[in-house]
Amino acid sequence: MEELKYTEILQRNKELAGTGNSQPYTIGILSNVIINSIKEILEYSCRTHHLEPNIEAGNYDNIVQDSTHYQQKDLVIVFYDVLNIIDQVSEYFEDIDEQKYISLRNKIFSEIDIILENLKNTPSVVFNSFSSACFAGINIQPSKSDQFVDEINTYLNTKKSNNVTIVNIDQLFIHIGLKRSIDYRFYHSSKAPYSFEFFKWYVLAIEPLILKNTGKLKKAIIFDCDNTLWKGIIGEDGIDAIDMSPTSKEGRIFHKVQQIAVYLSKRGVLVGICSKNNEQDVLEVFKNHKDMVLKEEHIVIKKINWVDKVDNIKSIASELNIGIDSLVFVDDSSFEINLIKEQIPEVHTIQVPAAIYEYPDLLLKSIRSQFSLVINSDDARKTEMYKQQYQREESKKSFTSIEDYLALLGIELTVFCNNKEHIPRISQLTQKTNQFNLTTHRYTESQIEAFLSEGNNNIYSMSVKDKYGDNGLTGVCIVKEEGINPKKVIIDTLLMSCRIIGRNIEIAYVDFIINDLTRKGYEVLTAEYIPTKKNEQVADFYEKMGLHLIHHSKEIKQYELKISEYEKNKIEYIKVSSQ
Amino acid sequence: MDSKKIKQVMSIVFDVPLESITDDASTDTIPNWDSLRHLNLILALEEELGISIPNEEVGNLITYKLIELIVHECKK
Repeated sequence: MEELKYTEILQRNKELAGTGNSQPYTIGILSNVIINSIKEILEYSCRTHHLEPNIEAGNYDNIVQDSTHYQQKDLVIVFYDVLNIIDQVSEYFEDIDEQKYISLRNKIFSEIDIILENLKNTPSVVFNSFSSACFAGINIQPSKSDQFVDEINTYLNTKKSNNVTIVNIDQLFIHIGLKRSIDYRFYHSSKAPYSFEFFKWYVLAIEPLILKNTGKLKKAIIFDCDNTLWKGIIGEDGIDAIDMSPTSKEGRIFHKVQQIAVYLSKRGVLVGICSKNNEQDVLEVFKNHKDMVLKEEHIVIKKINWVDKVDNIKSIASELNIGIDSLVFVDDSSFEINLIKEQIPEVHTIQVPAAIYEYPDLLLKSIRSQFSLVINSDDARKTEMYKQQYQREESKKSFTSIEDYLALLGIELTVFCNNKEHIPRISQLTQKTNQFNLTTHRYTESQIEAFLSEGNNNIYSMSVKDKYGDNGLTGVCIVKEEGINPKKVIIDTLLMSCRIIGRNIEIAYVDFIINDLTRKGYEVLTAEYIPTKKNEQVADFYEKMGLHLIHHSKEIKQYELKISEYEKNKIEYIKVSSQ
Repeated sequence: MDSKKIKQVMSIVFDVPLESITDDASTDTIPNWDSLRHLNLILALEEELGISIPNEEVGNLITYKLIELIVHECKK
């Protein structure tokens, strides 16, 4: 896939659509940056393995809240990017004061807690490691962002449960190169930092996990012998001339390949031999050649004969009682490789490269994408030790409810009524906001100006800030008098920028507005929801706020409420003031 | 040559038939041309044509004609 261009992936993905399993594999992606281009690349990867993916991306910068909705997915991927965390700090991060640093770090800790808690029953979660590569440059002195990233990575590692896999983003950056991974242009204009190149390698990195989760991983690896496990041909050159010595120039390559085979056998992979030779010659090598690392004890099945390899491979699969698609086959001969590819394409083949020095790396690369290696028990114990140590030291309370978490944020709203200075921003918000927008009426600046000068309209603009930063003017509500009945008003527009969705701000905002309308002597409130492709998330917003649905059609939902009947929600952790 | 390639890329990224990418195509005529696909379009054009589109132009490229013009500029 890495060699394909984005448009090629799009085309092939479209061709493969609907060809996979009927049971979809559901994936949810949570992110605090824009990562939408990953969708088709990930779909394509799944479809090449006969999986039919169903991918849903959460709202922008809404990881914590969206994690509650995605528990049922087969896989949840978390792109929690430090770029956007650091961006929300108003001062230069390297110069942040200690108090603010600690409070920001603790906020991330509690967010990690909530995300992990919400996703604890999800079969598989991919969490990207936090990276400071974008900020650090080459600097021998550790920076504040390095320290920050170290602390939150350590926290994530100690708190994560077994269903969570951490993708080492720095490794990906090293592999691809930072400049080719990150596009700062689109980060600054659209919060979309990642290149196609990055997404391709990212998908390749998590592919084995998806294969593992769906039972599509390989179980056995079958090696040819001559020029595959050693240099030379035993039947012609004889036991003294074949070479797998750790000290000879080419022998050391084969030596390493054998080490890899042993490593696999220790980690639950079935290792077999399939070679056209006299059986005695080969067994002699395994028993008596001093440089052999791979021994008979590592090998579960041997087919050393003159039968063609297709038949041999088929009988290996049936004797081991595994599917033919669970096999990987390694051989130096293009004849054998092509025969297998043609006759049993389900078998993954690896041909020993002509540039022999590339052989071990090629083998390892294939292995990483095809096998799930059982970690050894020492590693597992080490993780457990860290966890216990951490729990002893932990004195900090875990935040596991959204309410606790929101309370921690210290959200403050300031609501302005009919503020002329806000006209440009109000107009811009009506033009740009799609998701949290009940009616999606688009207004120019002069239209907004006209509403204000009519004198019987109330335009409420709202700015939002919390302990960690100021989101600026991000909410608009336009309330108009109905005309015939001066005690009756209609909510013409209610919208909020997606930056602030999911914090119950909308509830506190509507509470405030209705309170203000009461104060001004209005008696009846009407409102509308006009569905668009993008605003489904607010389809039931007015119902939730206690308004009565009086008319419902495909194009519109209309509501009414006697203002005196409105029950305030009193979100106590959000402070609202007016200006 | 480039114009054919540009239209192909647009058709694939927006997932619409090649015929609908007329010389008058714009964000108004192609409903799938939203802000997210716009980013993908720019990156895909850069990848396909081996060019680098200046940041300040990215937001302006809302019609086929404008894209053709800027691709031509970039190739100079």
